Amino acid sequence: MKFLYFDPGLGAMIVQALVAVVAGILLFTKNLLYKIKIILGFKSKDDEYDSIDIDNNNIEPDDEKE
Amino acid sequence: MTKKNKIHHASFRDPSGFLFHDGDVLRRSIQPIYFPQYKKLKESGFFKILNQKNLLIPHTETSVSENQIIITPEKIPFVTNPYEWSFEQYKQAALLTLKIQNFALSKGFILKDASAFNVTFHKGKPILIDTLSFDFYKEDTPWRAYKQFITHFLGPLVLAKYHGTEMLKMMQVHIDGIPVELISSLLPFRSQFSPILYSNIHLLAKMEHKHNVDYEGKAKIAKLSKNAQKKILETLYSFISKLTLNKASEWGDYYSKTNYDTDAFSNKIALIREWIMRLSPKSLIDFGGNDGTFARTVIDDVAEILVTDIDSNAIDLNFQKVRDNNEVNLLPFVSDVLQPSPGIGFDNTERETLIKRLIKFSPDVTLALALVHHITLSGNIPFEKSASFFASFSKKLIIEFPKREDSWVDSLLTRKREFINHFDFYNEKNFEKAFNVYFNLEKKTVLEGTKRIIYLYKKK
Repeated sequence: MKFLYFDPGLGAMIVQALVAVVAGILLFTKNLLYKIKIILGFKSKDDEYDSIDIDNNNIEPDDEKE
Repeated sequence: MTKKNKIHHASFRDPSGFLFHDGDVLRRSIQPIYFPQYKKLKESGFFKILNQKNLLIPHTETSVSENQIIITPEKIPFVTNPYEWSFEQYKQAALLTLKIQNFALSKGFILKDASAFNVTFHKGKPILIDTLSFDFYKEDTPWRAYKQFITHFLGPLVLAKYHGTEMLKMMQVHIDGIPVELISSLLPFRSQFSPILYSNIHLLAKMEHKHNVDYEGKAKIAKLSKNAQKKILETLYSFISKLTLNKASEWGDYYSKTNYDTDAFSNKIALIREWIMRLSPKSLIDFGGNDGTFARTVIDDVAEILVTDIDSNAIDLNFQKVRDNNEVNLLPFVSDVLQPSPGIGFDNTERETLIKRLIKFSPDVTLALALVHHITLSGNIPFEKSASFFASFSKKLIIEFPKREDSWVDSLLTRKREFINHFDFYNEKNFEKAFNVYFNLEKKTVLEGTKRIIYLYKKK
């Protein structure tokens, strides 16, 4: 990161620690609720929306771009 | 090569490299300062995975020397800018950016910037177009493009949620993102109670305000674990993917309130399709194309189709169809024909005007259905001006003219009240006179069961 060609903002760099704490609490409660819902039978395990993760598994090594 | 006059007008902010025009081909020069990153990105297979997943524009390596590496990215026929996206398009562009940053982190890289202008729509999907946006991840550092993501993506999206899609156009004025204090001040008080909005926007605004004066690099650089950063990305992703607009559409179901019966409408569709097919165009633009109903009648026969409309909700509906049908050759975008996107940024050239882009796109056919009465009677644009506008980028123009007796025209005229006489010029004869200055008439027909005429013009 030698090439700071725009200012990332000092406040923005510091605030991320706090944002991450909030995010951690949100994810923890979300997962907890999710598990409770599964146990109570409100939701099935595949009932997931679009995920941030790029699924690495279905990438073929020689899969050429169209 | 004289780099001086060939360098792409938007490519100067990042010293890692630049885009340049080599004849008709757009290529990217990578400078030695960026060689280590580029080599690692290439050799680790990082680029390859992003390409296979259609997340990053593919490129081929054209030449390698000590002074520069030249790569040639796949051609994008028409570049749309963030202020021309509908809400759903904007959302998808934001999610793409988060997805890429999340993946980059897991491979030891970061997105060093998160500008909305680094994304555009290509083959029906959002795609990252700045191949040099990556850098090495340094353990425990916060995401340096975090603020940029908030001001380019989260901010505009939540403003649109509360105040309508017009807010997305603020990006036209704020090429570097909407200032975070402005976003914070425009959000309703109740947004303070959303943990995501409070922490990512209101708290960020406060922190930025507190730290913006004494910035001499004295303060200790904040630390953030990779895991913590991933949590931020995941919650932002989940929040944005569930975002919806609070305001409903006024135009969305336009076709259900047209003033002619279904027979006349299907006749019109058949006629337009036949006229287009006879011209066998490779490219087409539909102005005022709503949800793309007319453009879709030729989607299997025309290689590149643009559909533009003033109504962001219609474009959303259109984009939904593109996604549902996996269409790769139809690009919907928002534009106001009375006020097309201007050139913005440094020297007014960083982002090109809509007209300049259209001239380059050079559509074989331009469609302008149910449009000219709005331009003329709502926009007060004289026929001569409309004709000269369409002539600036069109080769063949299929244009619809609703006569005075048409109920839509009648309603528009009635709204002029005491000024109704100012619009006596609105008739077939004057319309033709103006368009004949720039075009040769090839065909003309009255739509059966309506008071509307369809013309096929060829540019002189």
